Amino acid sequence: MAFDSARKLALFEQSVLPHLNAAYNLARWLTRSGPDAEDLVQEASLRAFRSFGTFQGQDARAWLLAIVRNTCFTFLKKRGDQPAIEFDEQAHSVADESPDAESALLHQAAVGSLNHCLEALPLEYREAIVLRELEELSYKEISEIARVPVGTVMSRLARARKRLQQCLEGALR
Amino acid sequence: MNCEIARRMSEANDPALAQHQRSCPSCIVGAHARYYEAPPALEQKIRASLRREAAVAVPWRWIAIVASILLAVSAVWNFTLLRSRIAPRQLLAENVLSAHLRSLNGPHLLDVPSTDQHTVKPWFAGKLDFSPPVKELDGFPLLGGRIEYFEGHSAAALVYGRRAHIVNLFVWPSAVSTPESSQTHNGYQMRTWSASGMTFWAVSDLNPAELADFVALYRRN
Repeated sequence: MAFDSARKLALFEQSVLPHLNAAYNLARWLTRSGPDAEDLVQEASLRAFRSFGTFQGQDARAWLLAIVRNTCFTFLKKRGDQPAIEFDEQAHSVADESPDAESALLHQAAVGSLNHCLEALPLEYREAIVLRELEELSYKEISEIARVPVGTVMSRLARARKRLQQCLEGALR
Repeated sequence: MNCEIARRMSEANDPALAQHQRSCPSCIVGAHARYYEAPPALEQKIRASLRREAAVAVPWRWIAIVASILLAVSAVWNFTLLRSRIAPRQLLAENVLSAHLRSLNGPHLLDVPSTDQHTVKPWFAGKLDFSPPVKELDGFPLLGGRIEYFEGHSAAALVYGRRAHIVNLFVWPSAVSTPESSQTHNGYQMRTWSASGMTFWAVSDLNPAELADFVALYRRN
């Protein structure tokens, strides 16, 4: 009835809409485009509202982010962006950061090129880093959103960090 | 080192860990990467589209419910109609007409050819479990009779003539009482009525008025 629908809308606005910033931030980092992110967050919000019946009071932010993530991946795949990650053995086996590198990373320029380096990451790495470092989700939550095992999340994060470090070092050179 | 732990310790003013937080790339992301906030207009757009969606959702659900109820009612209605009216009456009318046409086309118009009701009536006596009212009518000479079979029981067919036309009058016992009615099938006139526990069907290629005369005459006698 109309009452059900009004209550559903109120409940949705109250529990899901507060996470719109998180949704937009994720979509913006995944698509690297503001207008695309806006469209996709709107689409994902409608999808979330339609399937709000299946939402059972778990973490609303993680639930919404999962829908945003799927909407973005579908969009990117349709557009022809290949979310393929080439296996980067070398990046993975880079030695622990040296004191030099550490101090170098402190440099203002490194932070300045951080956004650029993050955007340059392969899609799945970017996804993992954004969810972990910007949304501060747990490995388990990320694995549920990205639909991969926790171990994969951890190795993606490790590779993403190495790449970021290399990128930042390169930017300073 | 875990970034979050480092962040917490840095908040607790541990210089060594503050150092880690500043040098570890993922900590830098957490601390310095751009966090894109949703444009204010986006939230307004989403709220508007949600309201539209919620408003649309209601009627559709109710339309679906009402439509399925209507569909169910109309299905039952049609089914009932089919069973109670069209099937028995229409089918019977067609069967009666078929019997009439068969009697004209085949060699089997008369089992007992006689213009005498006192010959025809006794002829039925040994063959039917009821006694059809056989009458001689002015203007519609009795030609004879035969046995027909309708809907699981025997029926008497009385045959009358009118110029070159044949009238078949089918009679069988029936508990159902229906008022007199007429219909036209493929140009053939049919009249049915019930009286004294029997159902009558008169069929002919006569014009409607003459068949009505025939029935009126029969029922009056």
